[in-house]
Amino acid sequence: MSIQNLNTFDPFADASKGADDDVQDGLVHIRIQQRNGRKTLTTVQGLSSDYDLKKIVRACKKEFACNGTVIEHPEYGEVLQLQGDQRENICQWLTKAGLAKPDQLKVHGF
Amino acid sequence: MAEDDAIFDPSLKKKKKKKKTAFDIEAALAEGGNDAQDAAPEPDTAKEDEQDDANVDIDLDFTKKKKKKKKPFTAEDLDAVAGEGKDEGNEGGNQDEGALDDNFDLEVDFSKTKKKKKKKNLGDLIAEADEKHEDKENVDENSAVWMTSDRDYTYDELLKRAFEIMRDKNPDMAAGKKQKFVMRPPQVVRIGTKKSSFANFTEICKMLHRQPKHLLDFLLAELGTSGSVDGNSQLIIKGRFQQKQIENVLRRYIKEYVTCHTCRSPDTILQKDTRLFFLQCETCGSRCSVASIKSGFQAVTSKRAAIRAKTA
Repeated sequence: MSIQNLNTFDPFADASKGADDDVQDGLVHIRIQQRNGRKTLTTVQGLSSDYDLKKIVRACKKEFACNGTVIEHPEYGEVLQLQGDQRENICQWLTKAGLAKPDQLKVHGF
Repeated sequence: MAEDDAIFDPSLKKKKKKKKTAFDIEAALAEGGNDAQDAAPEPDTAKEDEQDDANVDIDLDFTKKKKKKKKPFTAEDLDAVAGEGKDEGNEGGNQDEGALDDNFDLEVDFSKTKKKKKKKNLGDLIAEADEKHEDKENVDENSAVWMTSDRDYTYDELLKRAFEIMRDKNPDMAAGKKQKFVMRPPQVVRIGTKKSSFANFTEICKMLHRQPKHLLDFLLAELGTSGSVDGNSQLIIKGRFQQKQIENVLRRYIKEYVTCHTCRSPDTILQKDTRLFFLQCETCGSRCSVASIKSGFQAVTSKRAAIRAKTA
């Protein structure tokens, strides 16, 4: 543990961070919902509308070998919906593709 | 060994700390507790690490740097420096022994070596150092030794002493021993095929000092289902859930809404103030807002025809 007061603090850290074009702002909520039996559904809410969700879902479907769709919601905007428990997969994929940072992802559910 | 230390980067240490993702709720607290604990024997650990080449996780680079600067000191210099402030002189002394003999045990108490230096030659010193090798670990022994002697106390000793006293006087302090926050596990049983019952729901609410409604809201939002508290004060949740899963959610709840974000103490009050929830800590007095509970998007999982029939 270092002494905090003695650390050099860069006052422009925030400014420089904002400089790189970060399309994704705000949290991406990844939720799981139970369906009948042991089936589940994964929803991804909060992805930036600048992304083409249709393309994302197409890539995800191929990657995770599951079906999926984009749902238009009046309040939450476009929501990704994937079949099965894809929480781990989608987290890894989003970070790998650089669409969202790991700290922007919020996984809900059990 | 100095080179080894040089390449060490602080992130290493951080990772180590994060590894403590134990199962219990106490894990969250333990992190906080450990943080505070590390603060006490800080100078000590720095030394210990330096001595151990393989063990590269050092937490105090500030002192490290300072020491490195002092490396070029020689024995002659040391004597000259001896007149200076106690702390400085000691550090220099330690360092220059390290330079003379790489195997020399840096762990040895500064003051001890310093005192001996006045009487003995370096060869003896090293032998002495090896003897003392393992006694560094228990602080109590050390403190006992220096208390009786009439030499000057070093900064480290006094610091150690101060922390010991602090710990003795208020054992429940965060800086002291690791606090345990024991939770009874949630009892989850399946009711039929589609529902689960969280039998000791109200009991857990009482233990956490939270309104059952608040915990209920959180649970249902996180699990994305519906549910209610029944007559026997147990929570009935729609869907199949295992104890482990509920435990996971409960742990997240405690982390967000029960433990203080500053000191990790579970002794907190959740207040509602102008539509926002605030967490007021009883231990450290900090007050911070916590995220509101939002259920977010809910996909349609039931039969669409049934919904249509209901609404129409």
